[in-house]
Amino acid sequence: MANNNNREPIIICRGVNKWFGNFHVLKDINLEVMPQEVVVIIGPSGSGKSTFIRCINRLEEHQEGQIIVDGIELSHDVRNIAAIRSEIGMVFQQFNLFPHLTVLQNITLAPRYVRRQPRRIADEVALQLLARVGIPEQARKYPAQLSGGQQQRVAIARALAMQPKIMLFDEPTSALDPEMIKEVLDVMKELAQSGMTMLVVTHEMGFAREVADRIVFFDEGRIVEMGPPEHFFNNPQHERTKLFLSQIL
Amino acid sequence: MSLPESERNVYVAPPEPPPSRRPPVTTVGVLGWMRHNLFSSWPNTLATLVTAAFLVWFVQAFVRWSVENAQWGVITNNLRLITSGLYPRAEIWRMEVTAALLVFLTGLGLGIWARVARSVFVIVLVVLGAIVFVPLIGARIPEPTIYVLIEPQRTPSSFVFLGYRGEELRVELDPLTDLEDVNTRQIGYVESQSRATWSTQARAAATGQLDLADHNLELSVRLLDRSGSPVAVRGAPVQARSTPDALGGSFTVELPRDGWYVLHVERNDEDRDNNTGYAWLRIDGVELFSSLEAAAIARQAEYGPPPDVERPLFAEDRAYRFEGTRTFGEFVSLQLAPFLSRIARESFIGAALFANGWVIGTLGKHEKRVRRAAILGWALAGPVILVILYGVQGSRTLPIVTTSAWGGLLLTILLTLVGITASFPLGVALALGRRSELPVIKWTCTLFIEVIRGVPLITILFMAKLIVPFFWSALSSLDLTVRMMIGLTLFSAAYLAENVRGGLQIVPHGQLEAARALGMNPFLTTSLIVLPQALRAVIPAIVGQFISLFKDTSLVAVVGLFELVGIVDTIVSGQPIYRPYQREAYIFIAIIYFVISYAMSDVSRRLETSGAGSVRG
Repeated sequence: MANNNNREPIIICRGVNKWFGNFHVLKDINLEVMPQEVVVIIGPSGSGKSTFIRCINRLEEHQEGQIIVDGIELSHDVRNIAAIRSEIGMVFQQFNLFPHLTVLQNITLAPRYVRRQPRRIADEVALQLLARVGIPEQARKYPAQLSGGQQQRVAIARALAMQPKIMLFDEPTSALDPEMIKEVLDVMKELAQSGMTMLVVTHEMGFAREVADRIVFFDEGRIVEMGPPEHFFNNPQHERTKLFLSQIL
Repeated sequence: MSLPESERNVYVAPPEPPPSRRPPVTTVGVLGWMRHNLFSSWPNTLATLVTAAFLVWFVQAFVRWSVENAQWGVITNNLRLITSGLYPRAEIWRMEVTAALLVFLTGLGLGIWARVARSVFVIVLVVLGAIVFVPLIGARIPEPTIYVLIEPQRTPSSFVFLGYRGEELRVELDPLTDLEDVNTRQIGYVESQSRATWSTQARAAATGQLDLADHNLELSVRLLDRSGSPVAVRGAPVQARSTPDALGGSFTVELPRDGWYVLHVERNDEDRDNNTGYAWLRIDGVELFSSLEAAAIARQAEYGPPPDVERPLFAEDRAYRFEGTRTFGEFVSLQLAPFLSRIARESFIGAALFANGWVIGTLGKHEKRVRRAAILGWALAGPVILVILYGVQGSRTLPIVTTSAWGGLLLTILLTLVGITASFPLGVALALGRRSELPVIKWTCTLFIEVIRGVPLITILFMAKLIVPFFWSALSSLDLTVRMMIGLTLFSAAYLAENVRGGLQIVPHGQLEAARALGMNPFLTTSLIVLPQALRAVIPAIVGQFISLFKDTSLVAVVGLFELVGIVDTIVSGQPIYRPYQREAYIFIAIIYFVISYAMSDVSRRLETSGAGSVRG
C-alpha cells in the first residue's frame, strides 16, 4: 500500500467550496491523495461526501478553490475535463450499467469509442477484466440478467477498462442485498492491493478498517477528522466523530 | 402432534419440502381462461353475451351483404388504377420493378432484424393456395343467367360471347304481354340499360298508357358463328321463334366448338306492326367476362379478335348488374375468382421475392456483409425508386413520368416512405434540440413543434399548396407532390419529436453520468447511450406515428393528388357505371389501409421483443 511520501500527490484539493443554490454543501475542503493510496470517506447522509467525490471527476462543479488531478486543474476547459475523466474510473451506487448493451459491450464501449481501441483488443481486455472480477462467464448477458453484486462487479470492470489511475467509489454496496456485499468488497480489496489509488465513500466500516490507508470523516460539508484507521476507530478526537462511531459500531 | 411443553413455540419444517401439485382443473387452460376472463361475474357475463351477440349480428350482416349483393367488380376492373393511378400503361413495368424491390428488401430486413412468426407464413400460404384453387373451383360453378331486354328501339341486334365446345347454351324468349310480366323479377345479370328502359315501360304499362296485350311479337333468335353464318345442328339451324300464336320460344344447344358466337335477334313483324313489342331474352350457360378487354386479353390468342357487334355480353362494356341475391358459389365464381386470378401472377412473384429476401436475411443474420448489403440496399432504394418512377430526362427506356401521373397505392406508399425516412431524423433532431441547453436552439425547436402541432394537417397541406409558393416564389416551381411530401414530413416530425422527447425523459440521469465518467463526449453519449434506450422505449409510439402518417396521406386527396382515396373517388365519381359501387370500393381500400397498418404495428411489436436490450433492467 501507500508509502510513497516522496511522490507528488495525485489529487490535490485546496479550499474547495460548493453550493447547491444557497445551500453550502462543501466548505473549504483541503485534501491531498497520494498515488496508490486508499482513502475511505465516511460520514452521515447529506454530509457532502458523495458530492465531494463527484466534484473530482467534474460530475459536479465546484465554485471556489482548486482541484488538481494528476497535474491537471479542473476548470471549464472541456479538454481538461475530458483528459481528467479518462484518468478516473467511477463506480456508482446504482451501478448505472447500460441496459441496452451486453456485459461485454458495456465494458468495451468507452475503450472502443473514446480510446479508439480495435474491437479485438478491447474484447480481450474486457474478458480479462471480467475474469479478474470473477464473472468471466457472463460476458454475453444483459445487465438485467445479472444479480446486483454481479452488476456492480461489471461496473467495476467497465471503469477499469479505461485503465484509470484513480478509482472513485460512490457507496458501491449500498444498493446491494447483504448476501452480495462481500463479493463486491472482495473485488475492491483485490484492487486496493494491486496498488490502485482509490477514493471510497462507504458505510462498510469493516472494509474501511481493513483496507483504508486513511479515513476521512465528513459532516455538514466539511472534513471533521482524518487519519489512519487505527487512529480513527480507536482514538477519535472530535466529539462529532465519537458520536458517529458510537451510533454505528 | 404432541410436543414437549418447552417446544410449543418452535416450528421446524420437515426436511423435505412437499411435492408440487397441479392446480385445480377449472383454473387453467381454455376453461380456466374463459371462467376468469369472460364469465367471472354477472356483469362480465352480460357484457360477454351482449358483445358476442352484436359481433355475430354485425359479421353475419356484413358477410351476407358481401356475398349476396356486393359488386366487387369495381375493384377487379380498376386494379391498375387503384395500385398505380394514372401511371402510363406502357410504363407499368417500372411500377412492378419498384414493388419487387420493396418486397424483396422488406423480406430481407425482416429476416435480419425481426422475428417473423410462423403464423405469417401460414397466412401467406393460405392466401396463395386460395389464389390457385378458388379460380379453379370458380370455373366449375355454373354461370348465372343473363337477361337483356329486346325492345323495338334496339332491334335487330347481336350479342357476342365466348363459347366452349360441349357447353350447353339455353336461350329463351319471354315476351311481355300483360301486367303480370311487368313485375317479374329477374335473378342474374341484367343489362343496366335494359333495366332502365324496362322500368319506364313498366310504369307506362301499370298506368295504362301502354297496353302490352296490344302488341304482336314476332321475334327470332339465331345462333351464328364468328363469321356470321348460322350454326346448325343435324342440318337444322339453331333458332328460337316467338309468334303471336305461340308466344315465347327457346332453344337449347350443345356448342359444337370453342370460339366466338353471336346471338342475332330479329323482328319478323316490322311490316305489319308499330314495332312496340318487348321481351326478355334469357341466356343461360354463357360466361360473363368482366370486360371485353379482359376477355380479349385472356382469349384473343386462342380465338382471334371477337366479332364487332353492338351488344357484347361483357360486364364492363354494357354494365351488367347482378340482381337478386347471389349464392355463395356464385360469389366465388363471379366475384372472388376473377379478382384472385387477376392478382395471381403478381402475388406469386411477390411471395417468391419476399421469401427469397427473408431466407437470405435469416441465414445471413450474423454475416456482416449481408447486414451491410441490406442497409445499403435500403439506403439506395429511395433514390433508385425515384429514378425508376420519375425517369431520366431524354432517356428512351426511362422517359419522364411527371408526378402528377403517380397515384393510387403507389403514391400512398411513396408518400409514407418519404415521410418516414425524412421525418424520423428530423423528429429526433427536434427532440434533442428541444432539450438543448442553448436557449436559441431550444426555443426555435419548441416553437416549431408547438406551431405544427397546433395546426390541422389539412391546413399545412393547403399552405404547402397555396400559400407558401405565394410568399416564396422558388417553391412554386416545386412539384405539388413534392410539396405534399414536405408538408407531411414536417407534420410528422413535430409529433415524432414529442414521442422521442418522452423517450429521452425516461433515460435515467445515472446513464448520462456513467457515460460522462467514462470520458464519453456529448455526441457519443447521445448516440450510443441515450438515443438507443430512448428510441427503443418509444418504438410503439413512433410506429404509431408512422401508422398515422400512412393513414394521413389520404388527406392529400383533398388538395388534388390521386393517392388511394383520391383515385377511388375518381373511379366511383368519374365512371358512371361504377357510381353505385362506392361502398365496395371504399371498403376495399379500408382493407388495404388496415392490412398495411396492422403489418406495421405487428413488426413494431416484434422489434420491441427481439434484438439487443429487449431484457430491460
